Amino acid sequence: MTAHLNLVDVGVSFNGFKAVNGLTLSVNQGELRCLIGPNGAGKTTALDLICGKTAAMSGSIIYRGQDITALEDYQIARVGVGRKFQIPSVFKQLTVRENLEVAYCKHTGVFSNLMQWSRSSDSGGLAHLAEFVGLADHFDEPADHLSHGQTQWLEIALLLAQDADLILLDEPTAGMTAQETHKTADICQRLKGKHTIIVVEHDMGFVKEIGDIISVMHQGRLLAEGTVAEIEADPKVRQVYLGSAGISGA
Amino acid sequence: MNRANEKTSRWQTSRGTMQFMVYAAVCLAILLLPLVVQDDFMLNRIARYLVLAMVAMALSLSWGYAGILNLGQAMSFGIGSYCMAMALKLRTVPVHTGSDGLPDFMVWNNVTQLPWFWEPFWSLPFAILAGILLPALAAALLGWFIFRGRVTGVFVAIITLATMIVLNLVIIDQQQYTGGFNGITDLAQLELFGVTFDAYSSSTYYLVAISLTLSLFFALAITRSKAGLILQAIRDQEQRVRFFGYDVALFKTTIFAISAAIAGLAGMLYTIVMEFASPTFLSVQLSLSIVIWCAVGGRQSLLGAMLGAILVAGVQGALSESETFLDTWTLIMGGLFVLIVLFLPNGLASLIDLGRRRVRTPKSPDNRVAHSAELKEDRT
Repeated sequence: MTAHLNLVDVGVSFNGFKAVNGLTLSVNQGELRCLIGPNGAGKTTALDLICGKTAAMSGSIIYRGQDITALEDYQIARVGVGRKFQIPSVFKQLTVRENLEVAYCKHTGVFSNLMQWSRSSDSGGLAHLAEFVGLADHFDEPADHLSHGQTQWLEIALLLAQDADLILLDEPTAGMTAQETHKTADICQRLKGKHTIIVVEHDMGFVKEIGDIISVMHQGRLLAEGTVAEIEADPKVRQVYLGSAGISGA
Repeated sequence: MNRANEKTSRWQTSRGTMQFMVYAAVCLAILLLPLVVQDDFMLNRIARYLVLAMVAMALSLSWGYAGILNLGQAMSFGIGSYCMAMALKLRTVPVHTGSDGLPDFMVWNNVTQLPWFWEPFWSLPFAILAGILLPALAAALLGWFIFRGRVTGVFVAIITLATMIVLNLVIIDQQQYTGGFNGITDLAQLELFGVTFDAYSSSTYYLVAISLTLSLFFALAITRSKAGLILQAIRDQEQRVRFFGYDVALFKTTIFAISAAIAGLAGMLYTIVMEFASPTFLSVQLSLSIVIWCAVGGRQSLLGAMLGAILVAGVQGALSESETFLDTWTLIMGGLFVLIVLFLPNGLASLIDLGRRRVRTPKSPDNRVAHSAELKEDRT
């Protein structure tokens, strides 16, 4: 299998602080990759670099054989990269349905969207999506009225509606209950294969539940890569996670 | 579940239809007004308010829907107004200064040849197109720099305001070509398709009312399109919209230009109604007034912004002319504005939503209880 996404020696610094420093990472088509590491390891920045929120200062990012390092963020989204942010960012003044309609972005041009009646798009599909994440009862309510957990679900539904090939998830389970975390893991498992997924997560239970291969970052670099068992046994990883407790304690 | 969806979608369409009906009813009332009001002086004054309503509606499109606070809205208005005034001024040349003469103010300023940028305005169709397209092009150019550079918030307001002031100063400074402080006065009457549009006649009133109706429904169609939805999403979370692959800068530039085009059309109508064009049409004061009308009426409602303009400008006109309020009317207007901003942050249009919610409340508690029960089941 050829690599779907390749980061080659990518680096970026903020005011001299090297947030990501020579990161090399390669992810295969249909893989679910977990990215873990202590605070400040550059995990979120790595996602920012892939989706174009932050421009890389060195190295290159190759997605499906195309160099996307210099593309604008919206252009990267158009080639099939979706992103969920750490802080839920849904459109609060729009209803759940309208949120999903915006996310359902097969046509991104201004003119084609001016010519399209807003309620004509695949409403049935969107209703199914809302049902899938348990928001069917709130379909026509403003996203403002949703609780924190529901907002997270809406965010995941937005990603599903966008139907991106490569999905970047930044702490998808933050603030979720155990059941909700389990359900998120379930969704991730279902998406795996059809979509390539990179998850940044602190919750090791969640990582163990979904992860095939885990990449550990430390100080802007890749420290180790392997299966859950391999990572847990790795002495270097144990060391950066402050010794004996192991990564499960993080 | 499916039944619930059907119900909500039916409710959605009915809400959409209702909005359409309300808009249509208001426009119909405006169009039928001359049947009741026979006084030409009064009709002229109402036509003036309708033109102002049109600019406010245009601002609602960019400010209310896309979150672009354009403090230079009067610039587009002014450009449109000058385009019409130039064309109408040239029609007076044969009468005032002879068939190969110049507009009278140019003669007084010792100009000997018509400047090149006046030449195309001999043609009325060109003037009308220019009155709409020039403001749109200016806005597109300005917007391209602002939005590509990802300038947002208050800085957009400052840049648009500053640009307008520059144009205002240029017009005042170039007196020999623009009429300077006095503006362009003493205009011919517009003749179109064999109809003469006397400012004090029902024909001009109908011209304004029909233009307002058409542009209102044009704007409504935009807000109801998917692009309208995306613009509102941009207003809420600009960054997030980019990561769905939408070119946010292009969307914002487009709506900015469309808003400017409507304002330009309003400017042309204003010249016809007022029978002159003046630098005060692209002044800071007018620009701020437009923002106030929008805020009072409700910037997130096209109709609200429109009615806000008619209401405020109307009350302002009535108060400033009555002897009792001769000295205090500005104070009253200021107080009214403060009250509305404090208690109705979404303007008078939010009164309708409040009323609607009150009507529906009896039903909703039951729904909520049922729903929370359902949630509990899920959890356990």
